[in-house]
Formats: sequence, C-alpha cells, structure tokens
Amino acid sequence: MAVILVKNLKKYYRVNQKEPGLWGSIKSLIARKYYDVKAVNGISFEIKEGELVGFIGPNGAGKTTTLKVLSGLLYPTSGSVRVLGYEPFKRQSILQKQFSLIMGQKNQLWWDLPPLESFLLNKEIYEIEDSQFKKKVNELSEMLEVSDILKIQVRKLSLGQRMKCELIAALLHSPKVLFLDEPTIGLDVVAQKTMRDFIKEYNKKFKATIILTSHYMGDVKELCKRVIIINQGKIVYDGLLEKIVNRFAPFKVISIDFEKMAEKEELAEFGKLDEFDGIHAKIQVNKDEVPDKTSRLLSKFEVADLTIEDPSIESIIREVFSNGRV
Amino acid sequence: MSSKYWAVFKISWENGLVYRLNFTLWRVRSVLQLLLVYFIWWTVFQTQDQIFNYTKVSILTYVMVASLIRAIILSSRAVDVSAQINDGSIVNFLVKPLGFIKYYFARDLADKLLNISFVIFEIILLVIILKPPLLIQQNFEILLFFTLATILGLFLYFAMAFCIGMLAFWVENAWGPLFLVTIILEGFGGGLFPIDILPKNIYDYVMLTPFPYLIYFPAKLYLGNLPTMEIFKGFIILISWVFIGWYLMMAILQQGLKRYTAFGY
Repeated sequence: MAVILVKNLKKYYRVNQKEPGLWGSIKSLIARKYYDVKAVNGISFEIKEGELVGFIGPNGAGKTTTLKVLSGLLYPTSGSVRVLGYEPFKRQSILQKQFSLIMGQKNQLWWDLPPLESFLLNKEIYEIEDSQFKKKVNELSEMLEVSDILKIQVRKLSLGQRMKCELIAALLHSPKVLFLDEPTIGLDVVAQKTMRDFIKEYNKKFKATIILTSHYMGDVKELCKRVIIINQGKIVYDGLLEKIVNRFAPFKVISIDFEKMAEKEELAEFGKLDEFDGIHAKIQVNKDEVPDKTSRLLSKFEVADLTIEDPSIESIIREVFSNGRV
Repeated sequence: MSSKYWAVFKISWENGLVYRLNFTLWRVRSVLQLLLVYFIWWTVFQTQDQIFNYTKVSILTYVMVASLIRAIILSSRAVDVSAQINDGSIVNFLVKPLGFIKYYFARDLADKLLNISFVIFEIILLVIILKPPLLIQQNFEILLFFTLATILGLFLYFAMAFCIGMLAFWVENAWGPLFLVTIILEGFGGGLFPIDILPKNIYDYVMLTPFPYLIYFPAKLYLGNLPTMEIFKGFIILISWVFIGWYLMMAILQQGLKRYTAFGY
C-alpha cells in the first residue's frame, strides 16, 4: 500500500516585487507588482510503507514546500495528496497522531525548561499512555545516548544534544510517517553520524516511512536507497540512487600520488583529469577499462600510491543539475 | 482531552517561574504603577473630601481593585502569537492534534494565576503598610456581579489581544497596533481614573467601546453604587463585545491560517 501518494502537485506562491530604495518602497505601497513563484510545479510520486526516501535538490528546489504540503501546513494550488489515506491539509488529528515533521531549524522544545518537560507535554497532546511513554523515552534516549541530560534546561544543551532531544520529542507518539527536513544541519561529524545511524535503525526497527531532505550527500548516500531529485519545482529523477550513480558516473576515479613530477600530456590518454598538480592526479576511467589502465599507469610511472574510488555523490548530482535532465 | 490543556497550563506555569528576576521586575512595575495612581489620588483628596462623586474611600478602593483586575484581565500572553507566526514556530502547533486557541487560553490562565497570586500578596502588603481607608464589599449580589464582569472581561481581553497578535499573518510587525491599543486602554480602560469623571457625553461614547469593560466596569461594580439600569446596560454591552471579540478571533484565525497555508513562509 502506498503510504504517501502525490499526484500532479502544484504549489504556487504569489509574492510582491519591490524595486530597491525608498522610491521603490513607496511605489510598492501604491501599486504592487505580483508574480507567481512556482515552488512545486506538477510533481507525482508514491512512497510505500517502510521506505526511506531522500529528497535532494538545490536551495529553493521545492523540497521543503513539498514536505509542508505533506504535513498539512500548506494548501496545494492543485493536484492531490494523500498521507495514510488522508488529505493532510484538513489537519485531522487522526492523521496528525501518525506522523511527525522535524525541521532542523525549527524547534519545538521549550527553551527554558528541561527536555523532559516538553516530552511530558507531548505525551498529553498525543494522548500517549503512561507505560508507553516511559518505554519510549527510555528506548529513544538510550538509542541516542542522551539519557543523562533529560533534566537539564534546553538552553544549556549543545546543538547536537538539542537536536537529539528534538528527535525524541517528535517520535514519542510512534509516528508511522516521518518527514525530516535537514535533520543534521549544523551538526558536527560525530553527531551527524549518530543521527544517521539512528534514523537508519528507526526505519528498520519500526518500519517507519521516512522522507528526508538534506544538503549533506553523506546523509543520503548512507540512508536512502531511493532518491527523488527535484529542481525548479519538478522531479528530474525518481529511482534508485545506485542507478543514477551508474548512469551519470559510468566511471571510476583513479587517484594517484607520483614519486616524481608527471606531465599532464602523458596522463591525458588515460582519461579525463579531475585534478592534477604534478605530483597528485585524479583520472576518470570507464569502469571496464579500470584494470587495464591501472596496470599501464603502474608500469609507465613511478607510483607512490594508487586508489580506485567511486565518484562522489556530490559530483554526480552536480552533473545531473548541469545537464538539466535525466 | 482536557488533560492536554492542563499540561499546557502546568508547563506555562513552570516556564513563568524560570525567570524569577524578570517576573519580579514585572511585579515591581505593577506595584509602582499602583503606588503612582494611589498617591496621585491621595494628594488630590488632601484638600477636598469629595470630587466627581468620589470620596477618598471610594477612589482608593477603586485604585486597589483596579490593580487586582489588571492582574486578572490584562495579564495575557495572547499577543505572543505574533512572534510565533513571524518566526515560523507556529508550525509546531499546526502539525499537532492541538486546538490553537485552547492552547493559548491555557497558557493565558497559567500566566494569570501566577500574577493573581502575587498581586493579592502585594495588595495585602500595601494595605498593611499604607493603612488606606478601604471599602470592603460585603453584599453578595454585588460581589457576584463583580466576579462575573471580571470573568467576561478576561474573555474579552483575550480575544482582543489574540486578534492583534494574529495581525502578524498579514503584517510583519504587530507592534504598532498593539501600542495603539495599549495607549487607548490606559486612557479609556479606567486604570488611571474612573471613566465616569469624564464629561457625560464622552462617557456615554466611551462606554460603547470595549475598553472600559476591561478595568473600569468591574471595579465600579465592586464599589456598589452603580444604578441597576447601568449595571444591566453594562452587562449587555460587555456580553455583546465578548461575542463580537470571539467571533472575530475565530474568523481572523481561519483567514490567517488560510493565508498562511496558501503562502507559507
């Protein structure tokens, strides 16, 4: 069964335009010029139970708008949207009790009180049983390793600790559907890793359906099998991450450190040079030519170190966007 | 169901107690305000026994009661809604199974209870120190009217403050309108002087607005010398404003959310 069903969703905003300066302000007071921003322009997709899907795209691509429509915060301009069979913009509590929206930049914890107080408030709001609540708090805070800070004022916590507590607050009611908007934004590498591992485990353990948007390709690479790439309000790719990697990067990258300075011309015959500074080079080589070219490189040059890498997801996505289509 | 809003009430109460200094200063401010008005009237009555139909006892009682009413009716967090609209944290409410107005009302009651418990303590202290001649109202019927008018005033002010706060759905800053209302309220609410010392024709007009029902009307009821017709008329206007206020509040919320969900931020 499709947990999330989006058909031909459009969301346009009307915004007014103001020319710079005081005169522009006065003019905009009298005669406002409006234009439509097509934040989401006809997208369709389906997400099944237990899927963990990555939403990627540049700033302003329409990712957050889509998540807001799915959470019932925005009314669609046209098209149909169903989450667990309900229309989200009706904001029925039966649906609201089954999903959670976590935005890395919007907090729900009470700033001046310990996280536990906010948890208790959510317990009442979502009408969670006492025993279930205790179990959840223990379980989640152990998974995220924050059991010892639940009674400390939120303002005194680090960003990482706070985000973990935000996550707990959003998961107490065991939502079946989770919308994560930039959950790792601003976190250090260690905290990012903990968050990722947690999301992965949560998805497995509870069969939760998750949509995740992130700027960190690491998040997506680590977590999502399926990705939906949007750009300028349209879906440019919806499918396996692996597939797009193969399609846009049918090559591997050979990274070499030379003993002696090498000449650029000598390397050119092996493939496209991604990087070169005389002593270090990165060369794109078609997958099936990798063994052959590697051995030729080794025999032709004095090589200090050689590794064969997959191209970074970032570079692939960049490729996708610069091509404009898939 | 109601346990939700009880939880909101409790957490607001706890939150209010976190900033003891802030809260203390707020209370100091209201004590100073009370003392200021008190001593102005005290001075006025040094040379006279009666002004504008008020005796020293009745005016000083009015000032004390008005201070109590302020804590009950005018201590409100409803305008905070504008900040939550502006910084977008309103989404946290909209995605939860939670009544928006009920949530704020619960927070408001918590804030009021906190303020009331302090103002009672303050008034007792001032009465002990200043030993003002006060009228202790013992007529049950009058006390009932006073209580009823205060409760209605509480609902009225909540709606007014919430409406102003929700202007943030349309304008970036609701500070201007709020300031304007505060100024009008100081003048026509009856916090500084009882409205009926104004010329009759002005008084009649002012009594048609919602403002005097937030301080003056209940305080005047407490004094117990309002004619029955005036009490009756006052309640009719007050109740009408409560209905208008709550209706407007619902309508504005609906329109505001419609706009919010249409535009997003």
